Amino acid sequence: MSAILTIAEAARLIAAKKLSPVELAKAHLDRIRRLDPDLNAFLLVTEDRALADAKAAEARQMSGALRGKLDGIPIAHKDIYNTAGIRTTAHSKLLEHNVPTRDAHTVKKWADAGTVMLGKLATHEFAFGGPSFDLPWPPARNPWNRDHFTAGSSSGTGAAVAAGLILGGTGSDTGGSIRGPAALCGIAGIKPTYGLSSRAGILPLAFSLDHAGPMAWTAEDCALLLQGMAGPDPEDPASVDRPIPDFTAELGKGVKGLRIGVVRHFFEQDHRASDATRAGIDAAMDFFRKEGAEVRDITLSPAADYHAVGYLIMVTEAFTLHGPWMRERFMDYGELFRDRVSLAATVSGPDMIQATRRRHMLCREMAAAIENLDIIVSASQPGEAPRIDSVPKWANMEKPSFTMPFNVTGFPAISICTGFGEGGLPVAMQLAGKPFTEPTLFRAAHAYETATKWRARRPAMAG
Amino acid sequence: MSTPPIDEAELKAMLVRAGLTLTPDQVRAILPGAEIFRRMIERVNAPLPREAEPALTFDVEQG
Repeated sequence: MSAILTIAEAARLIAAKKLSPVELAKAHLDRIRRLDPDLNAFLLVTEDRALADAKAAEARQMSGALRGKLDGIPIAHKDIYNTAGIRTTAHSKLLEHNVPTRDAHTVKKWADAGTVMLGKLATHEFAFGGPSFDLPWPPARNPWNRDHFTAGSSSGTGAAVAAGLILGGTGSDTGGSIRGPAALCGIAGIKPTYGLSSRAGILPLAFSLDHAGPMAWTAEDCALLLQGMAGPDPEDPASVDRPIPDFTAELGKGVKGLRIGVVRHFFEQDHRASDATRAGIDAAMDFFRKEGAEVRDITLSPAADYHAVGYLIMVTEAFTLHGPWMRERFMDYGELFRDRVSLAATVSGPDMIQATRRRHMLCREMAAAIENLDIIVSASQPGEAPRIDSVPKWANMEKPSFTMPFNVTGFPAISICTGFGEGGLPVAMQLAGKPFTEPTLFRAAHAYETATKWRARRPAMAG
Repeated sequence: MSTPPIDEAELKAMLVRAGLTLTPDQVRAILPGAEIFRRMIERVNAPLPREAEPALTFDVEQG
């Protein structure tokens, strides 16, 4: 087995009994053995578990009892997702030997769907604070160029998917932690609507901003993975009890008739993105227009307004969780995490109330802006991945993020690859929608991906 | 209205109030970030129009 399959391709072959889940798992375990020493995407490889899962999937395949399109698919989990009996560390010394007794809700759902779990993936410490070189494990490296950053915090998932070590994996997103690594690693990643997928059993960073979502090579694969994650869970107070749509239902419908608003000032004035990033978005908008979508520019509050509100709430909520440990074990955290979260000490009660009020206003603003639209477009990241050894300590504060606005509002947003920059590394755009309109995001993203050549190109090291 | 830059003594006092008793080196390591963060807090506190007053409400059903 040489070509790296998508989940959709593998599912078709498994359903047709033309692909053995056991052989597929062995091929991916072999890729991990060969490639991961240079990537550090995995914190733990669970080979025995993977082979047991694959054998069970193969038995179902042979008996005509497959559970669906995720049955037999090799995946791995970001190491903030609790896995029963399997070490879950948050990439931190504080949880170096932590072994949960229960699976996270979404881990169980994917297991019930028949996925084959290959292991646990690198993250920024407690999903905030990388790249760090003072933790028990090194940071993940970007498969497009191992001297470069993956972004984070779902860094291992981004690297592992891009290098074809797994076909899909879990991420979490509090300010962009799914969409950032998806963008810099040249894959797809969706932050679903707040409440669509449960966070129960996932180590939290900031209650009101945390989202759980999937990352994969294509938007179609993300749709398949989200199908296996979404759904109500009484153990997550934010979980929404509503019917779960077929996330693949609109794939193949094209973009004709879709109304698309481009928040151009985010990536041209507020935080100017690279030439390649802007050119990629312009080319994508030309494509959408040509295919019959209505595209126009829209104006929101400055990206810095969304960023300030989101960041203030994020570090304050994080300190609420981590304060007790930070008071006792400050130096057991990595420098980036402890220094960034310590900033919460400078937030007053009225500051936090004011941030919450601002958040309501920004939510209303975005809801009004998208009322007569289907999709809002922005950049995902300002450009290609920087060198991993040149990311400033305060980088995620100095300029406004393009992803944070959709954590502040809870609206769904997906990042997809739009080409490559001067350094040969991927660039990306972000498509956001109204709450619970993920099928429309997948529709537009899939139309773009299947009409362009970017999904045919893998990192050279992936072979 | 712009607030003055945060200094080391002020930051240290804030950290102590939050229960973080740090060494001078540890406080100095946070100081540049605290200055950036101060500007973010200032942005969040920009005056709101009177009509924004009811923005923060209590949901009697959701709590």
